[in-house]
Amino acid sequence: MFLTVLFFLSATLTIASGIMVVVVRNLMHSCMALLGCFIGVAGLYVTLGANFIAAVQFMVYVGGVIILMLFAIMLTGNKPEEKVGSFLLPAMGNRRTLTWGLITALVFFLSVGKILLGMFGIGLGKKTAPTDPSLFESTVDEIGTLLLTDHVLAFEMSSVLLLGALIGAAIIARPETSKEK
Amino acid sequence: MNGGLIPYLSGFDWFNQTIKSTSAFLSFDTTSLLSFLIYAVFASLLVFLVLMPIGGLGTYAERKISADLQARIGPNRVGPYGILQFLADGIKMVLKEDIVPVGADRFVFYLAPLLAMVGVFMTVAVLPLSSGLTMVHLDIGVFYLLAVSSLVGIAVFLGGYAPNSKWSLLGGMRGASQIISYEIPVVISVLAIVLLSGGMSFDVLVGSQGGLPHRWFLFHNPFTFLAFFVYFVGALAEANRAPFDLPEAESELVSGYHTEYTGMRFAFFALAEYVEVFVLCAVAAALFLGGYNVPGELLKDHPLGQLLQLGAFFTKTLILYYVVIWVRWTLPRIRVDQLMTICWKYLTPIALFNLVGCALWMYCFDGKSIVSLLFESGVGAASGGH
Amino acid sequence: MSVYSIDVFMPVLILIALTVGVVLGGHFLSVFLAPKKSSKFQTTPYECGELPVGMAWSMFNVRFYVVGLIFIIFDVESVLMFPVVSVFKSFNDMGRGGLALIEVLIFMLILISGMAYCWRKGDLDWVKSYKRKQVE
Repeated sequence: MFLTVLFFLSATLTIASGIMVVVVRNLMHSCMALLGCFIGVAGLYVTLGANFIAAVQFMVYVGGVIILMLFAIMLTGNKPEEKVGSFLLPAMGNRRTLTWGLITALVFFLSVGKILLGMFGIGLGKKTAPTDPSLFESTVDEIGTLLLTDHVLAFEMSSVLLLGALIGAAIIARPETSKEK
Repeated sequence: MNGGLIPYLSGFDWFNQTIKSTSAFLSFDTTSLLSFLIYAVFASLLVFLVLMPIGGLGTYAERKISADLQARIGPNRVGPYGILQFLADGIKMVLKEDIVPVGADRFVFYLAPLLAMVGVFMTVAVLPLSSGLTMVHLDIGVFYLLAVSSLVGIAVFLGGYAPNSKWSLLGGMRGASQIISYEIPVVISVLAIVLLSGGMSFDVLVGSQGGLPHRWFLFHNPFTFLAFFVYFVGALAEANRAPFDLPEAESELVSGYHTEYTGMRFAFFALAEYVEVFVLCAVAAALFLGGYNVPGELLKDHPLGQLLQLGAFFTKTLILYYVVIWVRWTLPRIRVDQLMTICWKYLTPIALFNLVGCALWMYCFDGKSIVSLLFESGVGAASGGH
Repeated sequence: MSVYSIDVFMPVLILIALTVGVVLGGHFLSVFLAPKKSSKFQTTPYECGELPVGMAWSMFNVRFYVVGLIFIIFDVESVLMFPVVSVFKSFNDMGRGGLALIEVLIFMLILISGMAYCWRKGDLDWVKSYKRKQVE
């Protein structure tokens, strides 16, 4: 019962705010809709029993990425209509964007279609045995064990990736001082 | 799950009897329904009878303690010792006009206090008040708490952005960057404790400590001792408390990100801030000071033991709360560059050092505390000396 | 491995609903009780008594953005560390603590070296770029 309620709440929040992100003209409001979308996705993770991933979604996307986006909006031009994006960009609605949009929509439609077909039993992949969806196991220890044993290379490589990102971020901030010398 | 409200209640016969009888009466399994009702009642009690008074009394305590520190009297008109001042303040807040500045982003203006409140009040779900009376011991406990409270940073930013006022915007930008910067040392200090206790759930974190100070994580080893102070300084900055109150620096930014907020909306920001201080102090108490553990595990299985645990928890938390206020009225505000220097050049490296140190300690000494190691060596020396 | 019911997330949803209720309740309370006599000057943004000049939404310093970037990097690092660190004790109890310790140390050493690089190059200084701004 609670699972159903949670699922429909999160799914509605995700889809509704996802549409809002695209439709709303004001950049700040669009960012807020994206926040709602992230929270909805976190709720969906919870319904799947992946509570650690849900918290990661909150920590990294809600706490980090949204703040970064807000800072990025504050970096843009001085005029308010530029900042909140309440005017049409030249790329909006020309032929090239429409073509790419159509291709994206097609890919999206195909992937959704595969899932829907699977739901009606005409699926292409194998079906897993249904379990009681309102029960879940703690995934944290399993993730930790896998990161330390089977996927240790990925774990260490992600650290190298983060190192690259850190140095990149530092260098972005630097060009002014290097020009001075 | 070996903690939390529902598992605790299911240890009693009357609870199981109620489930059985209502299930028979309504002809479906009422465990979920009943736990929903219990959670709802408990959450309302917690919010209206614990958090809101704590937020309100926080403002009173702040003024009274600051008055004491400055040799003044402080509020003394409303009620005995002025203790009902917070109710008077609350009524005044409700009766104040709700002003939205011209040119403000109305939607965001209304959203910001809501986000601050939601971000802070969601953390209460895992707050370890006692072993039984905690709402739920999630297996990701402290991580959930840290993740959810990151909403406050967004709220502070939006509160600064929405009213289209320069003071607010400066405060909001400072606030958001300060909150996210200081989250790093806080999270890494928490990691050190998670490493020593071997779990993120609050019942594991608190359960691996004891009632007396020598079994607290604070005195577990030198690294955790340092980690406590790193955590505490970081928590001060995360809650925008002095000496880190740059986002709302009265003498330079008028009132920072809530300059343009009046009436109830301002009250919500203030409430969220005071409750956040309480929550951060509670986490410090749970992680480092033994949490709800009572010395000698007195009355552990008796319902009265829960009251003792509540007493232990609130004593530790409120003492830390007092320290927070004390620090505010003692230290001057720091500058922005000092703020960033403290975070990136002192706290974060120290926190990383602590984490490495705790990992080494765990490996070398099997996670035994320094007290038990000293005791063992003392016993070994005493027995080996003869 | 213990199995949990999804019901453990009920309090979270209840608390969100309760908080939204409190905020909306406070809003309506002030709608009914508070006076409404806004004047033109009352609704201008506060600027120490002067009429505000221009909008507040202006271009901000890139430093805030960089702080955000560095925050995300350390955030992801801590997110990766959390599950690893919470199984560290059980690894140690199984006698494989040395393996876990080395892996965690390598992970952290790589990040600490990045931080040391930034420190050495002066990217952690807030004032340096500030001086540069004054020169312009």
